[in-house]
Amino acid sequence: MKEKTSTARIIGTIIFFALKNLLHNVHAAIYLRIFVIPIYNPKIVCLLLYAVETRSLSKVYGNGLKAVDEISIKIEEGEIFGFLGPNGAGKSTTIMVLTTLLKPTSGKAYVAGFDVVMEAKKVRQNIGYVQQESTVDEYLTGRENLELQARLNHIPKNYIKKRIDDIIDLVELSDRQHDAVVTYSGGMRKRLDIAGGLLHRPKVLFLDEPTLGLDIQTRYKIWDYIRNIHKEFGMSIFLTTHYMEEADKLCDNISIIDHGKIKVTGSPKALKNALGNEVVVFEVDSDLKLENLLSELKKLPLVKNVTTERYEITIFSPSGNQVTPKIFELTGKLGVKIESITLTKPTLDDVFLSHTGRELREESEGFNRKKEREKMRRLRA
Amino acid sequence: MIFSDTYTIFWREMKRYRKSRSGVLIRLIQPAVWIIVIGNTFAGTRPLIQSVGFNGSYIEFMAPGVIMLTAIFTSIFGGVNTLWDRRYGFMNKALTSPISRSSIAVGKMLAISLISALQSSLILGIALALGVGIANYLMIIPIMLIVIAFSLGFSGISVIVAATAKSQETFWGVINFLGMPLFMLSPALFPLELLPHWLAFIAKLNPVTYSVLLIREMMTGTAQVFSIAIDVAVICGFVAIMVAFASYAFTREVNKPF
Repeated sequence: MKEKTSTARIIGTIIFFALKNLLHNVHAAIYLRIFVIPIYNPKIVCLLLYAVETRSLSKVYGNGLKAVDEISIKIEEGEIFGFLGPNGAGKSTTIMVLTTLLKPTSGKAYVAGFDVVMEAKKVRQNIGYVQQESTVDEYLTGRENLELQARLNHIPKNYIKKRIDDIIDLVELSDRQHDAVVTYSGGMRKRLDIAGGLLHRPKVLFLDEPTLGLDIQTRYKIWDYIRNIHKEFGMSIFLTTHYMEEADKLCDNISIIDHGKIKVTGSPKALKNALGNEVVVFEVDSDLKLENLLSELKKLPLVKNVTTERYEITIFSPSGNQVTPKIFELTGKLGVKIESITLTKPTLDDVFLSHTGRELREESEGFNRKKEREKMRRLRA
Repeated sequence: MIFSDTYTIFWREMKRYRKSRSGVLIRLIQPAVWIIVIGNTFAGTRPLIQSVGFNGSYIEFMAPGVIMLTAIFTSIFGGVNTLWDRRYGFMNKALTSPISRSSIAVGKMLAISLISALQSSLILGIALALGVGIANYLMIIPIMLIVIAFSLGFSGISVIVAATAKSQETFWGVINFLGMPLFMLSPALFPLELLPHWLAFIAKLNPVTYSVLLIREMMTGTAQVFSIAIDVAVICGFVAIMVAFASYAFTREVNKPF
């Protein structure tokens, strides 16, 4: 049995690489799903069927900082995947490894079915990368910027014009396409950046904080664009963001990363449900008996999790209605006065905080100059 | 593919240059001051220069030097936008696209050398307007070709320093440290024959020396086939080494975290 498996492994791998090189794209994975898997051991190829897959991926910087620590993620084709985490959690490093800008220290990463180290060039042909800061050339016109992007990505000459016309319509910049980008607003620049990332129809699109520093109206508009392009081109999207609302609205699945490790993965809905379907938040008048109260609260039935912030106590529960009277009972017994109480549904913010904690990130510890410089760059951009 | 990739980067750099026209004139001021002020200050050294066989005024002697001064500084400063590109993300955009790393370096260098030749030709124009003679106006074409080739080599230095330096301060420190001595240690302002032996020896190791001599001989029409061959060989060797080394160093540096 064991021997058969290893033969199948070899044959499967050979067929996979043959298909991959012939077709130059991730569709090889689909053919494999149809033809190869039923015949051979599915284990051989399933690892190559994802739009993005990492296996125990780690990145340690020269100063010994372990920015990414053994993370394993799987992103299906056509999925919008949200990658969330506090500042300095390792999001940017992960993106840089997946876009071939950095080499991982250990572990494997596959994007569009190609190894990011061994087949970096193939990966680059299949990805679009929209960076956090605006990367358009200010003194060039919008159209010239897209032309540059098209040439960088080897779009055949006779396609360039049409592709640009299409994409510029999609992001509603056609009336300003011949103006220098220096005259564009922040939202327009972002749209141009996203358009540039889409021009060559990538299999996987990386969006690094696409709405950072934009006003609410523009942010909603950008979400619409992201949904539209996803509908139109059906590529996988790898999205990092600080805005939980954004992840909630756009993503099929999210992972929360902190201190270089994946804390939790799942659909936004599943993660919220895991916390309990309801949240009770109440404020007490003093912190005298807080410790006592907390330990008693945790013992209550139907209480999944309790967090505090000064006088404010948050309780996650599958049934808030039943927990609320018990809270009154308990506080009455301990002589603690409740100032206010509310019953809500958990948001992704709650999920995020429950997995990453409330303490502020000290970016100075170990991050030093490099991190500082990056921060400055973001401020300026 | 590598040629079209290189052309893509070259195209982008030239677009950017064309949109920042105000810089062109500002950068001409310094060499123009050199040619007018230094050219006239040392007018009295004419007998000295004639003693080593140069039949012309001092300003005619130093005009090729100032053309090279323009070329040196335009090309050696030219790589600074590599730092901006890395800071503002264009570099990452180019690095995550399928074009090769060395075509980014070479595309930049080609653009810098063409810009440098354009600047130098303006200085040549100023020199001619100031009454500097040229034996044959057709010579302007090979002179410009030499400037382009030479600048290509020098832009390599600039790209290497910019890719290695992580900050503007380091870049300007290193570049200023390199630029002036390279110009001074050449027969740009004073004939080699009149220098102390050790200085003349150092100057002969400097590629600027060969370019200055070549341009000077072409302008006065006294070029010998043998000396041209040596000068051209030295310049070509220098350019080949710099292009190879710059694309190697650039590729290595951009793969490190910035």
